[in-house]
Amino acid sequence: MKTYDAIVIGSGMAGGWAAKELTERGLETLVLEAGRPISPEKDYVEHVPMWEMKFRGMGDRKRLAQTQPIQQQCYACDEMASKFFVNDLENPYTTPDGKPFSWIRGRQVGGRSIMWGRQVYRWSDLDFEANAREGIAVDWPIRYADIAPWYDHVEKFIGITGQAEGLPQLPDGQFLKPMALNCVEQMVRDAVGKAWPGERMVTIGRCAVLTEAHNGRAACHYCGPCHRGCITRSYFSSVNATLPAAAATGKLTLRPFSVVQSITYDRKTGRATGVRVIDGQTKHALEFKSRIVFLCASTIESARILLLSGIANSSGQVGKNLMDHVMGGGANGRIDGPVDKDTIGNRPNGIYVPRFRNIGKGKSPFLRGYGFQGGGGRSDWGRGMEQAGFGAAFKASLRKPGPWGFSLYGFGEMLPNEANTVELDKEKKDAWGIPVARISCAYGENEKALVHDMSISAAEMLAEAGAHDIQPYTSDNPPGLVIHEMGTARMGKDPKTSVLNAHNQSWDVPNLFITDGACMASTACQNPSITYMALTARAAAYAVDAMKRNEL
Amino acid sequence: MNRREVLLLLAGTAALPDELLAMGRTVHKRIRAGALRALTPQQNETVATIAELIIPKTDTPGAREAGVPAFIDVMLADWANDEQRQMFTAGLANVDERSRTAFEKNFAGCTPQQQTQILEDLDYELARLRDTKSDTSKNFFSAMKWLTLTGYYTSEVGSTSELHYRVVPGRYEPCYTIEQP
Repeated sequence: MKTYDAIVIGSGMAGGWAAKELTERGLETLVLEAGRPISPEKDYVEHVPMWEMKFRGMGDRKRLAQTQPIQQQCYACDEMASKFFVNDLENPYTTPDGKPFSWIRGRQVGGRSIMWGRQVYRWSDLDFEANAREGIAVDWPIRYADIAPWYDHVEKFIGITGQAEGLPQLPDGQFLKPMALNCVEQMVRDAVGKAWPGERMVTIGRCAVLTEAHNGRAACHYCGPCHRGCITRSYFSSVNATLPAAAATGKLTLRPFSVVQSITYDRKTGRATGVRVIDGQTKHALEFKSRIVFLCASTIESARILLLSGIANSSGQVGKNLMDHVMGGGANGRIDGPVDKDTIGNRPNGIYVPRFRNIGKGKSPFLRGYGFQGGGGRSDWGRGMEQAGFGAAFKASLRKPGPWGFSLYGFGEMLPNEANTVELDKEKKDAWGIPVARISCAYGENEKALVHDMSISAAEMLAEAGAHDIQPYTSDNPPGLVIHEMGTARMGKDPKTSVLNAHNQSWDVPNLFITDGACMASTACQNPSITYMALTARAAAYAVDAMKRNEL
Repeated sequence: MNRREVLLLLAGTAALPDELLAMGRTVHKRIRAGALRALTPQQNETVATIAELIIPKTDTPGAREAGVPAFIDVMLADWANDEQRQMFTAGLANVDERSRTAFEKNFAGCTPQQQTQILEDLDYELARLRDTKSDTSKNFFSAMKWLTLTGYYTSEVGSTSELHYRVVPGRYEPCYTIEQP
């Protein structure tokens, strides 16, 4: 049997980066992907107009309720893009009664990098030091200085649009030119900056969409529904960028339909020897050998695979401390923006309000903080449903854009908690006969306090900007729905209390690296993908150097 | 022009958004108006008449020409649940009842003035529900208006001739000046 230099499990955000970095550093690499192959020419559907969709974008409600009851909770699982989400019947998981968890998944080449939200924010030492400062969970074994060059490395390749602001809590990156704020967003930015100087601010979102041609990929053409694919490769996904780069080295073997059952392990050497797979189509068992393994299957899948393999768990921490972000506090309002102005094009990005709670002076009655995403715009014909009238005058009124509105929606940090776990279900199996994950996870008091505060501070900012009809709100979402799962195989400084060291290397199995969200020791409040990507690239460089030194 | 050529052009200088229309999409069968599946021909005519009264033909086509009745039939057959479908057809029967009481004719046989009068009543009753923050989910005219507006503004005719919608705008302008606000 051929022995690859490396096997990467998963081809999404992290797996794509592992594939690129390992192949570019000379390793013969096999990427195992559970789902089907994706061909942009055949599979991308972002330019299908509404009138060619049977339900005009509202989705095949009956089919969704039958086969994707969980996946359809995600806005992106729509009439065209639901094919990028798993079939819930084939991919079940269990939760205890009264503890729902919404696990949103993509099983195909590219994983969830095809439908991700594309927002990218660096972490700072405010985040890396938080656990140590507050005595919560375990300290991160790295600081901003360790990861900063890898953020640079990743951002230069994928292309990030954003505005440099010089904030200590949200370091600037390698930005392409920023997207523009529209009329009312500028109004709100000015008002917030004036009312809370040096504290709160509104900036344009930082996102992995190209505003100029970059590394052979075209600039955005502002069609809008990024989650359906992008034929010009203008947003980053592993299908659009990292996997083609890996393939270009001639050292990549990509095997779709490879449902990983376990990582094989040699007790004598204490090393991983390869990966056991069930073929997704034939359901035959297969085995592949390699010198190192990168586990990038996503937070919950990676924990499941480790538990199925029975390795890397001398700390007992595998599957513990499952986290997500918390969302759902915010406010909407109307703004008296200019009646003679509107926007053209669908900007695939919004505004961002960087975290302002518990930084510097002033303490809040909760730990950590949150950021806001959102934006302003004019309402469209949809307002007609809430409006009295019909006939020619009614039609004429809907031809014009409606009033300007503004929305702020909070995303907050979730604290690690050992009671939030991923285990193997003792009875249930998936369509490939593999025991499924049992997920037990709930938000705590701190997360609830964050959501409450989001609604108040959002309403304050809208009021300061002169908005009227302000509607603050909180909502009670199950964890999972932010789709930022983290934890379950955390990095740390001590093998007794963590699964991975400072290089995402298993303390117990030195030729095993885990670089997806599983490695995170805390969540910060920023969207996490860029940090997974940077940690993956960093771990790959470390692994290849260690192989050269014959350490693995 | 193949995809590679378009990519080269886009990566180079000016964008060619129209060329992109043909890409990033699977080929879909045009949805044709076929045989009715949820509604009887008489119900369909009532639906078409109401839809055209909500969004009439003006300098641009109205609901009939945009295929709204066929869309509503599809939604009732394949999207709505049993309860919603029954609510809708009961609402259509109620419209006929109202017109027989007031004008001794079924709705479709009334004059446009008489039909408008019945719609004004329905619209007023819906507005009352909304104003009193009552449940509108079981109101026929609420469903009818939602289906008509959705069917019209997402149709090819409504999207392009009424709203000047483009699948690929090709640019983002944050503060564009509207000629006739």
